[in-house]
Amino acid sequence: MQDIRLRAGAAALLSLAAFTSVTGAAVVFIWWLLFSRPVQVLGKLRIVIPALILVGFFGLVLELTGGGGISYSLRMTVSMTVIILIGAWVYTGYRQGDFLRLGTWLLGNKTGFDLGMVAETGMQSLDLMVSDLSRIQQAQELKGTSRGIRSLVPAGSILIHGALRRAEETAELMAVRGYSCGGSYCPVFNTTVRDLVAGSAAICMGIIAFVPVSEFFILYH
Amino acid sequence: MKLSLAGVKVVRGDWSLSAEGVFEDGIHLVSGDTGSGKSTLALMLAGQLPPASGAIEREGIESALITFQFPEFHITGPDLEGECRTWDLDPTPVLKDTNLAGKKTLHPLDLSRGELKRLILACVIAKNHDLLVLDEPFSSLDSREKERFCATVSGRKTGITIIFTHERVHFPRVSRIWEIQEGVLHDRGRLPVALSQWNRAPAVIKKLIARGRTPENFSQADLLEAACRT
Repeated sequence: MQDIRLRAGAAALLSLAAFTSVTGAAVVFIWWLLFSRPVQVLGKLRIVIPALILVGFFGLVLELTGGGGISYSLRMTVSMTVIILIGAWVYTGYRQGDFLRLGTWLLGNKTGFDLGMVAETGMQSLDLMVSDLSRIQQAQELKGTSRGIRSLVPAGSILIHGALRRAEETAELMAVRGYSCGGSYCPVFNTTVRDLVAGSAAICMGIIAFVPVSEFFILYH
Repeated sequence: MKLSLAGVKVVRGDWSLSAEGVFEDGIHLVSGDTGSGKSTLALMLAGQLPPASGAIEREGIESALITFQFPEFHITGPDLEGECRTWDLDPTPVLKDTNLAGKKTLHPLDLSRGELKRLILACVIAKNHDLLVLDEPFSSLDSREKERFCATVSGRKTGITIIFTHERVHFPRVSRIWEIQEGVLHDRGRLPVALSQWNRAPAVIKKLIARGRTPENFSQADLLEAACRT
């Protein structure tokens, strides 16, 4: 999907649909398989796989500690898994400037510009964190640190520390350059036929998730 | 010990890097502009990045280590003492040598980047690996620390040490110079002959050579000796 307006709208709708019920999660997963180019998404963002394992782990913990019963744990695990997959699709399809375009289109050159810019810097920071994580893992491997929970804590603190430092430096630089708020931007969008088909399909999936099946079909009791 | 590169190539879009040559025991300096592919080559030599084509062969190298430009990536300890222990080192001499003994209970991220770099480099050198690849070891260090590091690394008598840097002033005594230019790694040869072949040589070295005072090497002491030679 090249049009960020459709991509963001579809992602919001599909995430909500996936969170609503297992049926919703199932139809959203089908949409993800059909329209997100799953092999590319998982190939580009391998970090999704450990995230999915983590979701499964917490679902199990929730169940073992007497959470809301098997059905609740299962629903949460399935829903969260699908939401992560949708997030991965949005992330891998991101092109620089997407959120600035979306923000200014949606909320104008003041609030929209600011929010768009925050999202842009966030995405750039995420990119850097992914490459930093790869370096940290290499360094830990050479040091003989085994991969696992114990290696996650220092890696996480380095990533967060680095992100905060970069954010502070960026903020200082912008202040020095005279930035206070808002800006001027004329967004241009490229909407393809595939975008429209995927967007329409997302709306259909949303309807299926939110409206009971019995509203569509005559069911025999 | 020997590290051989045969027809090594890495390609990223329009950008590519080709490398050929043999790194033997001693200290090697690889220079090149920013973005020329120094870090990529460093990762390949350390065995952390497979080349797109060609082969990198190691002979007699039992252990290898790379240090990254940003020292934060290496941290796994909860404090400076713990960090030294994660390298299997006794913290007392390391912290004393790096003038960080008074900060031993601090978290490594509470240090300035220069202090952290000093600590990580000290740990790495103390480990004495057969192959040591140092990616921009001088970044974040002040002049005094750069000189101290040069002296320390010059003291590494065994193994292969490869320094990737665009540093222009402070250097240890090295055995061989390599240069990355226009996507190709060039072997400029052994010192002192390599100095006249080195395109990116610092201006002071070029001037000394032009005046017929080619230094033996290019540590500060060598340059001073050549400059004061009568």
